[in-house]
Amino acid sequence: MLEIEDIHVNRGGTHAVRGLSLTVGRGEIVSLIGANGAGKTTTLSAVSGLLRPRKGRILYRPDETAGAIDLTAMKAEQIVAAGISHCPEARQIFGNLTVTENLRIGAYLRRDAEGVAKDLADIHRRFPILEERGSVPGDKLSGGEQMMLAIGRALMSRPKLILFDEPSLGLAPILVEQIFDILEAVRADGVTVLLVEQNAAMALDISDRAYVIEAGEITLSGTGRELATNADVQRAYLGAA
Amino acid sequence: MTFPYLLDQLVNGLILGSMYALVAIGFSMIYGIVRLINFAHGDILTIGAFAGLAAFASADLPFPVVILIVLVAGAVVGMVIERTTFRPMRGSPQVTGFIASLAVSIILENLAIMILSAQPRTFHIPAYLNTLVHLGSVSVRVIDLTIVVLAIVLMIALVTFVRFTRIGIAMRATAENYDVARLMGININRMIMLAFAIGSALAATAGLMWGAKYGQISPLMGALPGLKAFVAAVIGGVGSISGAVLGGYILGLAEVLFVGLLPPALSGYRNAFVFGALIIVLLVLPNGLLGRNQETRA
Repeated sequence: MLEIEDIHVNRGGTHAVRGLSLTVGRGEIVSLIGANGAGKTTTLSAVSGLLRPRKGRILYRPDETAGAIDLTAMKAEQIVAAGISHCPEARQIFGNLTVTENLRIGAYLRRDAEGVAKDLADIHRRFPILEERGSVPGDKLSGGEQMMLAIGRALMSRPKLILFDEPSLGLAPILVEQIFDILEAVRADGVTVLLVEQNAAMALDISDRAYVIEAGEITLSGTGRELATNADVQRAYLGAA
Repeated sequence: MTFPYLLDQLVNGLILGSMYALVAIGFSMIYGIVRLINFAHGDILTIGAFAGLAAFASADLPFPVVILIVLVAGAVVGMVIERTTFRPMRGSPQVTGFIASLAVSIILENLAIMILSAQPRTFHIPAYLNTLVHLGSVSVRVIDLTIVVLAIVLMIALVTFVRFTRIGIAMRATAENYDVARLMGININRMIMLAFAIGSALAATAGLMWGAKYGQISPLMGALPGLKAFVAAVIGGVGSISGAVLGGYILGLAEVLFVGLLPPALSGYRNAFVFGALIIVLLVLPNGLLGRNQETRA
C-alpha cells in the first residue's frame, strides 16, 4: 500500500528524518514507535505532503497494476484525493467550525453528495455524541470527543490509508482503550492504518508489524508481538526494568 | 434641532456606515486569512470609483451592469495584488507584509495620478438616480436608498456564502489553520486569493457608492475612507465579518452625528474624532467588540 524508500526530511531547519524506509501492506496496521522528537510526525507529514522530502521516494499503491504513484511530487490536496487521510497530532479540530462542519470539511474533495450523506450517517452511528453536539463549535468539545471528531473527519474523505498521529495523547486510560478499539474497527472496514504512537504497549498490541524510530532512522522492525517481547524495546519503550 | 433634521442625519450616517462596512469587511477577511493589515485596501475604493465612472461615461450602461463591472474590477485587482505581492511574502514576518501593503498603496496612488491626473473629476450619475423618494418625513435620493439596500444585499450574500457553502466553510477552515486545511484537501492558495477577491470587490463597490453619493472622485480619494474603514474593522474586532459590519455602521453614524449635532466650530475635527475613537477602543477593548483574541500566524 505504501513504500517509503530512504527519505530524508528537514523540519524547521533540522534534519529530522535521515534515510528512513518502511512499508505498509494493504489492510495492515503498522505502527511507528519512538521517543519525542525521533521523527515520527515528520515522517507522516512527508507522506501527506505537508513536508517535502529532500531525498528518497514515497510510493503509494506499488502493488497496483496501474503502477505506483510517487507522492513526493504531489501536493497535499492531490494526496488526499488519491485516498490518503492524515489525522494530525493533537487532534487539530477547527475550533471555529461546528462539529458537523468539521465532519463535512473532511469530505471537501468529494462530489458524491449521497455517499457523503451516507458516510456522515455511519459516523453518527459510530459516535452518537457527534450528532448530538453537531451544531456546537469544535473547540467546545472535550478531549475525547475531539479525538472522535478528528477520526470521523479523517474518515469522511473515504480513505484507503489513514495516518494516525498520536491518537491516544492526553486522553484518560479508558478513552485510550476506546480509541484503540476504533482503530481496529477502522481496519476491519478495509482501511489500511499507519499509526504513530508513544503508547508503545497499546500500539504493538494491535499492530501487525511495527518499526522503532530513533533520531530519524529505523533501528528495529518486526511483527507487533516480536517487538513487544524484544528486550531493548521493553527497556526503552515499555517501561520494563 | 428638529426631529426631521435628526432623521436626516441618521440616514446620512447609515449611508456612510454602509460604505465603511463594505470596506471594513475586506480588511477583516484579509486579516482573518493571512493575518495581514492591507493598507492598500483603501485604494481599491479609488479603483472602483474610476471603474464605475468609466462604465457610466463610456457606454451609458444600466446601473446594475455598472455595479457588476465594478465588482469584477475590484476582484481582479485584489487577486493580482495578492498573487504578485503578498503570496511571495507568505511566511515572512508580519511587519514585512504590512510595509509591502504600504508600498502597494503608494504605487497604486501614484499610478492613478500619472494615468488619470491628480485633478478631481465630477462623478455624473443618471438623472433617475438623483430623483427624490419620500419615506415618511425624510426625503432621500434614489442613489442613497440604492447604496443602503445594495450594501445590505451584498452583506447578506457574503454571510450566507461564508456560513453555509462548502467553499465558505473551507475559507473559514483555512483562516484557522493552513496545514490542517491542506490535510482536508483544500487548496489554501485558492482560498486566500478568493478572500482578496471578495474583499476587494466589496471595497470597489464602496468606491462606486462614494463617487455616486458625493459627486467627486480623485486618485487619492480612497486613502482616508480606507483608514476609517480600518478603524471600523478594529472597533468591530478585526477578523470578524459581523464585527466589521457593526463597526462600519457605528463609525458612520457616530461620525455624521458628531458633525451634525455638535457646534459647527467642532465639525472640522471629524477625522480627529474618528481616530481618537480608534485609540480609545484599542485601550478599552483591544480585540474590538466581536473579535477573538487571535495569536499571530505561526
